[in-house]
Amino acid sequence: MKQSPQDKNLDRMLRSGKLTAGGFFGADSRSVDEVIAEDAATLIKLGYRVAQVAARMQELRDLARPALGNWVRVNDTLQVKSEDYKGMIGCPWPHSGQFGKRITAAQRLDTGQSASWSDLNIHLIEEHGFFEGRGAFFRIEPEELIRVIF
Amino acid sequence: MPTAGNFSSEIWLAVVTCFAAVFTQNILLSYFLGMCSFVSVSKEVKTAAGLGLAVVVVITATSILNWMAYWWVLVPLGLEFYRFILFIIIIAAFVQLLEMVIDRYSPALYLALGIFLPLITVNCAVLGSVLWMVIRNYSFVVSVGFGLGSGLGWMMAIVAMAGIRQRLDESKIPAGLRGPGITLIIAGIMALAFIGFTGVLQ
Amino acid sequence: MAEVFVSVLIISGIAAALALILVFCESIIQNYGPCKITINGKKELTVEGGKPLLSSLRERKIFLPSACGGRGTCGVCKCKVLSGAGPVLPTETPFLDAKEQKENIRLSCQVKVKNDIAIEIPDALFFIQQYQVTLTAVEDLTYDMKRFRFELTEPAEMEFVAGQYVQITCPSYQQGVEEVDRAYSIASDPKDNHFIDLIVRRVPNGICTVWMFDYLKIGDRVQMTGPYGEFRISNAQTPMIFIAGGSGMAPFVSILHQMKNSGSKRKAEYFFGGNTVRDLCLSEQMAKFEKTLADFKFIPVVSRPAPEDKWNGQTGLVTEAVKRTYTDVSGYEGYLCGSPGMIDASIKVLMELGMAKERIFYDKFA
Repeated sequence: MKQSPQDKNLDRMLRSGKLTAGGFFGADSRSVDEVIAEDAATLIKLGYRVAQVAARMQELRDLARPALGNWVRVNDTLQVKSEDYKGMIGCPWPHSGQFGKRITAAQRLDTGQSASWSDLNIHLIEEHGFFEGRGAFFRIEPEELIRVIF
Repeated sequence: MPTAGNFSSEIWLAVVTCFAAVFTQNILLSYFLGMCSFVSVSKEVKTAAGLGLAVVVVITATSILNWMAYWWVLVPLGLEFYRFILFIIIIAAFVQLLEMVIDRYSPALYLALGIFLPLITVNCAVLGSVLWMVIRNYSFVVSVGFGLGSGLGWMMAIVAMAGIRQRLDESKIPAGLRGPGITLIIAGIMALAFIGFTGVLQ
Repeated sequence: MAEVFVSVLIISGIAAALALILVFCESIIQNYGPCKITINGKKELTVEGGKPLLSSLRERKIFLPSACGGRGTCGVCKCKVLSGAGPVLPTETPFLDAKEQKENIRLSCQVKVKNDIAIEIPDALFFIQQYQVTLTAVEDLTYDMKRFRFELTEPAEMEFVAGQYVQITCPSYQQGVEEVDRAYSIASDPKDNHFIDLIVRRVPNGICTVWMFDYLKIGDRVQMTGPYGEFRISNAQTPMIFIAGGSGMAPFVSILHQMKNSGSKRKAEYFFGGNTVRDLCLSEQMAKFEKTLADFKFIPVVSRPAPEDKWNGQTGLVTEAVKRTYTDVSGYEGYLCGSPGMIDASIKVLMELGMAKERIFYDKFA
């Protein structure tokens, strides 16, 4: 499909290693819209909305923050921790805002499954519905994420 | 060489042709040439006006250059069949020049137009207007008027469309129609309105 | 036959002539000639017009900080432009808030010098130079932290104040990685000004830290600019509280060296927060400082010590340890270095204990 210049620019930004090592796509050759659409379809199938998922990710992060990197028990089945790293990372979409390199990890105490995400992931999911391409280091599989955090 | 009458009658003919090109035979709304940039760049009045102005400059200047190239080079050498290639080459070169000038004097406009500035080269309105000029055998002065009119007509259409779309920004348009869908519907309605001008000039 | 040949020649000739005209026009239109950059109203530079402000300044050895090397993705190279920059470009607006735009702050990597331009930069930037350095030693400090020693080859000396940082250029060491600049606090003694120590913590999938940990080898040559930064201890004699964990320790190692060199008698207590005993580092060096400095105490705090570690030092969060130790810190100064989370929590605790906001200094990892 013919891409507008803005889409081409976005695609270039997402694939390049300028913002994050390996880019946001890894070796995935699909277009941004395809990735977003497929993940959106998965979410609908599982019965969740993007806003719900992003809100829960943010809630868990805020619960974990005060512990400065230690595990926090959310309830009987879930614990979370949040670690800060040096530096900021910008969003590949052309709008302002830099995000701290904060990685929140959530682990199920019953199944042992875990999921982790960065602050930028929360923004990408909330604002753009983007879970990153397959092969990207911080790619989040919607199914696995939902099974852990809800 | 198309026969030219005396100078004042030429000027009058040029004015009439210009007027016709803007209103009664608007190259965009009557002949539907130059639609791609029209649909894509008509989101904001400022950018639309910038592109429109660039197109006016391109059509007028290339009408002049192509008229000279056709009647002074191709026809004497019997190479009229080359006109498509030569016209496109001249249009491409001129648009390149215009790009450099805009980049130098208005970098904000250059960035705002992005890829649509070099795309003026393949804007059918430009080549179409130049070919009309050749087919209709316009003299030099009339060609200038015709080129200017086509450009102004195109510019007026895109600025009007941008104004309408900016107004519609807040309206609730069905999701499937947003963007190109509603733009083409609006273009159709504008074209219908312009039919009202037929018969104004004899 | 000849007709075809001749006609092709004519059309090609016209096309070639047009191309030549375009090249000629380009050399005139895109030639901005020499342009004058006036800095802080006093220094004047004449540079070749048409290039971004950031690179024009770099060529004349004035290094504005930048993390992305001028590609418009980091927003670090902000600079106040008084006149001559033209309208704000759409590539700049994502990084400038309304207040900055009103103050004429621009992204120097996007502003092209097309005519005479007047800018304002902090005087400290004039002392920043570009250094060629060689890696001479790597030391493991913890499971995810290392200390790197870089010998300065050209120029061979760097004058810096303890607490400042340098920017290191990480090359494109792999497919999918582009060259970036990253900032790290200097952890060495300001007196030993022919080498620079950096304490670096590995960032998961981080561009520069992965390069330093996995690819950089002893003997490799690296580019560095510096020294940058305003973080340093004051000249007062008031007692100080340091709070830093992980790689936030770097500037304090340098500061402690400086205090030793100057024979400072200031009281200083350093709370180092780690999540496990494995996160503690440089304990021996801190013990040495405790002996050589007049009034320095190193207080490591481990949040969740495992029973097998047999930890008998302070436990819990570092902020909790600070609260336990003091009741009133209104007479102290606070120095913090680390993650935004830790700094925000520490500032809150220090202010609750009575420290005035103006006496809290920090270097947020941002």
